[in-house]
Formats: sequence, C-alpha cells, structure tokens
Amino acid sequence: MPKLTIDGREVEVPQGTNLIEAARLAGVEVPYFCYHPYLTVVGQCRICMVEIEGQPRLAIACATAAADGMVVKSATSQRVKEAREAVMEFLLANHPLDCPVCDQAGECLLQDHAMSEQGGNFASGMLETRRTFPGLERRLLGPHVIQNQNRCIHCSRCIRFTQEISETWALTYKNRGNNAYIDTFDGRPFDDPFSACAADVCPVGALTVREFRFRKRAWKLSSTPSVCPGCSIGCNIWIDHHERIVYRFTPRENPEINATWLCDYGRFLSESLNQQDVVHPKRRLKEGWQKLPWAEVFRALALDVKAAKTLRVVASGYMSNEELYLARELFARRLQGELVVPVFMGEPRKMKNGRRQWLYSQSALPNLEGAKRLGIRTVDEEGLARFLYGAADLTVVLDPQAHPFLATPEAVQLVKVSPTVVAARVDAPLLEAATWVLPAASLAANEGTWVSSTGKVQRFAVAVAPPGEARPLWQILALLARALGFADLAVTTPSQVFQWLVESEQSFAGLDWNTLLGAEQTSYRERQHVG
Amino acid sequence: MESVLLRARGVANSRDITTYLQAGGWEGFKKALSMPPEAVTQEVIDSELRGRGGAGFPTGRKWSFVPKDHPGPKYLICNADESEPGTFKDREIIEYDPQMVLEGIAIASYAIGAHTAYIYIRGEFFRWAKILEEAIAQARAHGFLGKDILNTGYDLDVWVHRGAGAYICGEETALIESLEGKRGFPRLKPPFPAVVGVFGKPTVVNNVETLACLPHIMTRGARWFASIGRPRNTGPKLFCVSGHVNRPGVYELPLGVTFREIIFEHAGGIRNGRKLKAFFPGGSSAPVLTADEVDVVADFDSCAAAGTMLGSGAVIVMDDTVDMVEVGRNLAHFYAHESCGQCTPCREGSDWCLDILNRLVQGYGHPSDPDQLLRICRFASQGMTICPLGDAFSLPISSLVSKFRNEFAAAIARAKPIPPKKLPVMPWVGKDVRFGG
Amino acid sequence: MKTQAIHAVPPEQLQKVTFDEAMEKRIAEIFERYPTKRAAMLPVLWLCQERYGWISPGVIAAVAERLEESPAFVEGVVSFYTMFHRQPPAKYVLQLCVTLSCELCGAKTLAHHIKERLGIGFGEKTPDGTFQLLGVECLGACGGAPVIQVNEDYYENMTPEKLDQLLSELAREQ
Repeated sequence: MPKLTIDGREVEVPQGTNLIEAARLAGVEVPYFCYHPYLTVVGQCRICMVEIEGQPRLAIACATAAADGMVVKSATSQRVKEAREAVMEFLLANHPLDCPVCDQAGECLLQDHAMSEQGGNFASGMLETRRTFPGLERRLLGPHVIQNQNRCIHCSRCIRFTQEISETWALTYKNRGNNAYIDTFDGRPFDDPFSACAADVCPVGALTVREFRFRKRAWKLSSTPSVCPGCSIGCNIWIDHHERIVYRFTPRENPEINATWLCDYGRFLSESLNQQDVVHPKRRLKEGWQKLPWAEVFRALALDVKAAKTLRVVASGYMSNEELYLARELFARRLQGELVVPVFMGEPRKMKNGRRQWLYSQSALPNLEGAKRLGIRTVDEEGLARFLYGAADLTVVLDPQAHPFLATPEAVQLVKVSPTVVAARVDAPLLEAATWVLPAASLAANEGTWVSSTGKVQRFAVAVAPPGEARPLWQILALLARALGFADLAVTTPSQVFQWLVESEQSFAGLDWNTLLGAEQTSYRERQHVG
Repeated sequence: MESVLLRARGVANSRDITTYLQAGGWEGFKKALSMPPEAVTQEVIDSELRGRGGAGFPTGRKWSFVPKDHPGPKYLICNADESEPGTFKDREIIEYDPQMVLEGIAIASYAIGAHTAYIYIRGEFFRWAKILEEAIAQARAHGFLGKDILNTGYDLDVWVHRGAGAYICGEETALIESLEGKRGFPRLKPPFPAVVGVFGKPTVVNNVETLACLPHIMTRGARWFASIGRPRNTGPKLFCVSGHVNRPGVYELPLGVTFREIIFEHAGGIRNGRKLKAFFPGGSSAPVLTADEVDVVADFDSCAAAGTMLGSGAVIVMDDTVDMVEVGRNLAHFYAHESCGQCTPCREGSDWCLDILNRLVQGYGHPSDPDQLLRICRFASQGMTICPLGDAFSLPISSLVSKFRNEFAAAIARAKPIPPKKLPVMPWVGKDVRFGG
Repeated sequence: MKTQAIHAVPPEQLQKVTFDEAMEKRIAEIFERYPTKRAAMLPVLWLCQERYGWISPGVIAAVAERLEESPAFVEGVVSFYTMFHRQPPAKYVLQLCVTLSCELCGAKTLAHHIKERLGIGFGEKTPDGTFQLLGVECLGACGGAPVIQVNEDYYENMTPEKLDQLLSELAREQ
C-alpha cells in the first residue's frame, strides 16, 4: 500500500490507485472532465494536471499511479494553477457559455470548475468568433438524447461508454481536430438500451436527456437513495424530486451491481411514480362507490376479513420484504389464508457492474428473491389462474401490477365471484371487480428493502409524501392487523419488521437497517451536485 | 563524402535486387544472421546511430527496451509515414533503393526477435507502396524473407500497410493505433511501444532512413559508422532542402556540416539572387532560425543548443520576400488540420492560433495577438499534451513571434477593425480546405 | 505516366453493398497479414475505394459487417483520414499541396490558375465531373514544390504552363 502526500496531507492508498482517487481519499479534489471511474483512462482533457516533486513536467493525475513516497501538489502549486487556468481558457474558447439556457447548468463539471475552483475569475484573450456546428445544436441524437455539439468539450466519455459499457459502439467522433463531432453511423438514431447514460457521463450540456430537459433546474432537486423497480437486478438509483414530484431517476454508484449505469427502461419508469389514480379508500355499495376515512375502512374491513372462512391473498414481487413479512404473518399464519406471489419474466434486462461483468435479470420483479427467501409460494401465470379459479370467501390483491394476467378480462371474471380487496395506486381492470379499493403509495413514498437477484439486500428510502390519502402498503397492513386484534403486528416503521427479519430469517441475519441504504458510496463526483 | 544511403541514386535499374546484390546488398543481413541477436543490438548501440525520424533517440537503446523473455510475438514497424513538412528523404531511399530498407527491416527484426514486420507508408505514396511491394516479392523470391531464411530457421514476413492521410500517424503510438485499424489517436505513455505496442505486443518503430543505415553498420562495422560525423551524432544523414534555394533536393552529408554549407554550397544558395531571411532546420516543427544563425552545426546536439532541433533534417529555406506572419498562418493551418483532437491544448490551441494568424494575415490584427499567440504556445507545449504535436505547432509559431515580432507589429499597425463574423480560413480560392474531401 | 481516371459508382448503386467473390478473396488475403480483423480496416477500405471510387455509408456498413465492427466505428475511422472520399469524386482529383514549401514556391499561383481555367476553388468540382480541386497538406515531395497530386500520381515542379498542358491531356484522355 503506497503512502504519499498530497497537498501536505498524508494518505495510504491501495496499490494501483490513480492520483485523482488518491487525492479524494486524502480529502483533496482534483478536477477532471474526461476521467470517469468506470471508463478507460484517456488523459485527454488535461485539467487534472498535478505537480509531482522531482518531476520536471506536470503530470496528469488520472493516468499516474500513486507511488510510495510521492509528494504531490494540486491546489498548492502555482504551476498547476496556471496550467489549469490555461486548459480552462482553451476549453472555454469555443464553448458557447450559454449556461443560463443550458439544462446541464448546476450539474456541469465545466461550470463547477469555472465557478468553484477558479472563483469565477476568468479572463480570456479570445477575440475570435466561436466555432459552431450548424445543424448539431439541438439534434435528437436518439429517442432519449439531445445533442448540442457546440457545447462538447471532446472528452470522449460518451463514445467510451458505448464502446466499453453498453458495447453497442454506436457513437463515434467524425472528422478530427477541432472539427470533430460526436455522431452515430450515418446520423441514424442513437440506438442503445443504455442511451441516456451517454448523457449522464457527458460532463457538460452537449448530451442531455430528452425526458428531463427543461423540466426542473438541477439545483432545485433533492435526491433520495432508492432501488430501480424495473427488474430483478436491483440497480441503485437516486430519485430526484422536488415538491412531491419525481423528476427523474439517476444511477447511484454501486460497483457490485450497476457501477454508475442505468438502463433506459428502468430510468424512464420514474415518471410512472407520479401517477396516483387511486387517492381515496373506498367501498363498493349497491348504489356505487362510498369514500370512507381510513379509520372506518379498517374497522369495516376487519369485519369482512373475520367473516371470511376462506381467504386467498395475491402478494407481489414489487412488495418490500417488510410488507411481504407482514402479509405472510397476518394472512398466512394468523388468519390461515393462502398467500402467493406471482412470477413473470418480462423482457430480459442486463446491466454491467463495476468489474465490467454483465448481470442478467432473473425476472421482471425487483423482489422475487425476497418472496422466495420468506418462503412464500410463487406461482406462474397458470398457477395464478388456478389459484384464482378456486373458491374463496374473500380475495385480497395487494398489487394489481403483480402479474400481467391480473389485467386480463379473465382475471377480472375469476375475482368477481367473491368479495375482493384491492390495494392499488393506478387504474387497473381489476378495480372493476373490487369491493374494497385501498390507495397504496408508490415506491417514491415508501421505504423498505428488496433482495436483488444477485442476492443483495438493498434498502430504498422515502423520497416524497404520498399524495392524497394514499398510504404505503406496510402501513395499510399494520393498521389492518391492529383492527383485526393483532396489536403486535401494528408497527410504526418498517425498520421494526426488518428487525424481526434479522432475528428470524437466516438469510437476513447480521444485516443492519441503517447501513443498507448504501448512500454513503458517493465517490462518483458528479453526484455531489444534487441533493 | 562517399554516398551511402543514396548510393543507388542515378544507377540504372537500381531498384532491382540483382543490382542491389551486385553492390554487396543483403550481406549485412547474412552477417547479422550469423551473430546472436544481442550482438547485433550491441553493434547498433556501438554505432551510436540515432533515430532519423525526428526525435533522435538512440536506435540500439530503443531495441534494448524490448523484453527479451517475452513469450508471444513481437513486431517491427518501419515508419514510412513521412509527413513532416519539408521532409522527402524516405521517399528518395524507397525510390532508388527499396532493398536497402528491406534489409534494414530484416536486421532490426532479427535483433529484436520479430517475425512480422509492417511498413506503414503514408497513403499518398501509392507509387512507393507499389515499389516496396515489388521489392518484397523479389526479396522473398531470393529467400531473404519468408520461412527459414537462408536455412537459419529464422522466419520473417514483411507487409506494406498504407495510411490514408493523417500527419499524426507518423507519431509512433498513433501509427500503432492506425495500424490496428482505429483512428490515429496517440496513446498515453507509459507503457512504451517496446513493452506494449501493436496488438498489445512489444514493438519497435523505426524510421526508413534509420533502418537503411543498418546494412552498412553490419557490413562495415560500428566503428566505421561512428567515425562519420561528430561524437554522439554519428553517421551519414539525409538533408532535405526545399523552399527558396537554387537546387532543392535530398543531400547526403555527415552530421556536423553547418546549415550555411547545406544551403549555400550544396543547395546552390538562394534563388533569384535574393538574400536568406530564415529557415526551418528540421522540418516545420522545429523553431525557426534566422539568417544570422546559419552557421549552426547541423547535428542533434548543436541544434538543441541553438534552441531548435534537427528533427528529420528537413531544411525549409525562406528568402527576404517572405512574410513571416503568413508563414505562421500556413503552419498553423497545417497543424490545426492535423491535430487529432484528443487533448484540449492542442485541439483548441492549434485552431485558435490559426484563427489569430489568419485574421492577422487578412489585415484584422489586434495589439494583443503576439502575446496571445505566445500564451497559447506556452500552454500547448512542455508536456501539456499526450503526444508531441502540441510542441510541434507551439515551438515554430512562438519562435516566429519572438524572432520576427517587428513583422507582427507591422501587420497589427496596418490593421482594420475585427469583423464580427468568422473569417474564411483558406482565403486563396473556394472554401475552407479543411475536410473539403 | 498516364494518370488513371476514377470511375465513381453512383450513390444509388452503393446504398447496399455486397462484396463479390474477387473482393472476398482479396479481403481474405488481407486478413492473413494481421492477428486481428480490425487491423484490416485501412487495407479493406482502400480496396473498396479502389473498387467503388469512394466510401459510401453502404460501403461502410458492408466493411463493418465483414470486419465484425460497428458501422459507427468504421465511419469514425474513415472520417479521421483525409484520403477516403466520402462523396463521389470527380474523374481527376487535383490535390494541390498548400503547405509551407509549396506555398513558398507558388502553390497560391497554381490555385488561382486553376480557378481561372476551370472555375473551381478548393472543395469544388467542375460541372461535367471531370476535375475536382482539393487543398491538401504536405505531400512529402517538397523538393519538387509546388506539387500537385492527381489521383494517385505526383506532378512536381509545377508551373501554370505545365499545369495547362497536364489538364489538357487529362481532359482529352477521359
């Protein structure tokens, strides 16, 4: 383990660490644009210049490995300061400086460096007209990415991303020198299942995400650590939100699972979290729907549940471990009902981890693994149909999204024959058949843990308050349990349930709710802008 | 001095292998094959041969960096991407004596243990690529290339690989990238090509002229070679003289002649009876020298002492009619066109220099321009970039500004107000020539 | 020396390209020289330019498939190098060197002369598609400055008179 000094601070780092990462460990920020911790080092931008004692020339920190006894100067070197100012002058020579109308502003490495490290003090001797790329200022590069080539600082991160991570090799430089620009083959649509990551890695506003562009200034957003609900891989995300509205998902660093990547499918599920069609609990009467306050709902519903001799419950692979535990405890163990979790594959997804290995989804459900660990019976489509075909006095569907079959007319017919309780967030055909509809909150308003198909238990936190009278499902289950007389299940936070899991379930033993969020992993510099 | 590298110039059928054999050709390779590879390397180290491509790095030492015990293949690349403005010597050797180049390739390959060699020749040289291919076929037919050469068990294949128009591919790591089928982006060093080169294998890249010296070193000995020229600057050297001289062309002279001799004796002095104003001593990437500096000795170390470099030995001569601001513009145009675009200082700096110089030439100068040029050049050189192209444009342009500041001042004194639109870059005729194709 | 004219295949015939047997054979020969398929990039592109006169997107797609690369990657390589024509070229591409030695020795005069005689500036083609003028950087023949390369051939020590003669000959031969 080499021990070195950076700006007077001593630090010991693992063998092979470059000077940018070593400096970070020492608490020194070395600026960079083209360097990215999960992409090949190319040393193109030249802003990470540092002075190394005993070397006549400045070195680029990204491509220099920390060595024992090295004495490095970054912020404390006048030569470094001059060199970085010169590099900034070069970079800004042709940069449009249109920050006020650029959507990257607030999370732009170039802007940050100009403002923070140069203190906004910046004079340029540039008298020339700027180089522009007519026709490439507002181009839809692909379905999700908008290009403004005038802002590009030629860091090649997006190109390297498509070559090294998504492996589509879809982006390239065209021409060379100062005339080079980013393009696809023959200007055709940028077709890449991870296309928005190219905009993520773009340190400036040259590539921006179409869906997010101009919807919210980056500095207004708060970020909450969460987990992508798109499939079983369990990519770590930030939910970026403002005033109870979710604006986007961005990847949250996790070298084990998604490094700093996120597929387009998962990323653009973010908008769906804002959808809350069901906002009031209600009961179907002969004359129509009757809205009820929650307190009455539980009282009345408890009577219905108690009256039912046979009870069948459809849980979901979208539910947290805590919710599944409560559902199992309440419906299966205390009330002796039948509990299943439907399984479906959906479209296969893949993700590259920090060691550049592909991970493949095992199912479309983010917590199927958790359901299996809790020993809940899983059923495929046929099994689910058969389960619903049997007679029961009361059917409880905790999530109409649990399986596509639940949206079919066939499922509606099967459920209709007996009283049905449905906890739902968005409109679903199944609601036609429901006698009770309970508004459940989205992932953004919930908290709990999921087990990814890689076997990792991961926690997601509450980003926003639930809209209307919607409640997180764990709360609905806990309050129903109390109404049914099981006061011991009436938890006030899912962490209590998690503690039971830790105590009772082998596969949860030793885990700690407080450290499961993983949000402390933020070596990825870009994240410091938001939240 | 006797002609060594250009001995075939003017000889009938000089390209033919029989002519070459009659002149004692391929004897050096035969001798090398009779020696252990390390002894061949030692001989080249003893000759003090320095690379003729521009950097002047000792050739033998470059070979010695190749790991001896490397299990996989190693490669030799002959750099025939001659693109430095003012340089046209390698073409001359290939034109008259391609077998000499091949023999040099064979010797170097044997010394480093390579069984495949590529000749990377610039794309414009259609004719010379064909000449080399014919020469390879002849050498192969005579058993100097191919399998089990001269019953020694040594195999060597040589292939001609054509570039396609990129100055930067003369830089050895860009050349390697280009040979691998990519854009010619220079690589970060270390690792150096001798350790991780083409296809990830140890690779030596040597210039045509460097390789052409090897047969003679082998047959006549390191001592003979080292006796030509001056200490640490040994051997014959090809000087390419172009520009305003009476007899432009390639001259073979020992290292150690002065530029005065080159320009006035060999190249016949300045044409039309004009006076010498300035010259580039080693291609356009070397800082310019003025008429007062014409007595500088033309070798690697003396040029360095004079604040310039011998580079490829390409002397570009300018008479007293030349506008040095226009010279700067011409060079900036070249380097802005040839910058690969990877590193910020070179990509932006070369283009910025071009814009300023272009503006100056068209009569829109500004008093801050000379200092701005110097500032750009200062921060685009001295290790600020991955490869030496940053230095290649910075050094000559800053030397032009410093040595001919009066001409820049005069251009600025004549200046009109700067127009608010981008000026055309190549104001001769038609559109901007950059990427016109 | 007789300069060969370029016969560019029209764009509509190069939208989708499949290599014939002769091309495949030569590509296979090229593959044998290198340990990777990618290294055959420039030789195969040269082969295509020789065959079709220029490198269309269709040619790029075909090369990409043959080399097992993405077409974007191949296009990136093609566009890095200046010698690959990305538009159909004229029969004779006049490549006038504009770098220092040639400028010192009169390249500018030649450019104006061509403009006067053929009416074309840099980057332009004569309406009949016979000539095209390109400004190129150093051709590595500075001893013979000014130099003009027509298709594959070098013409050195050019003067307006020699250029006139050359252009007349080429115009006759086509």
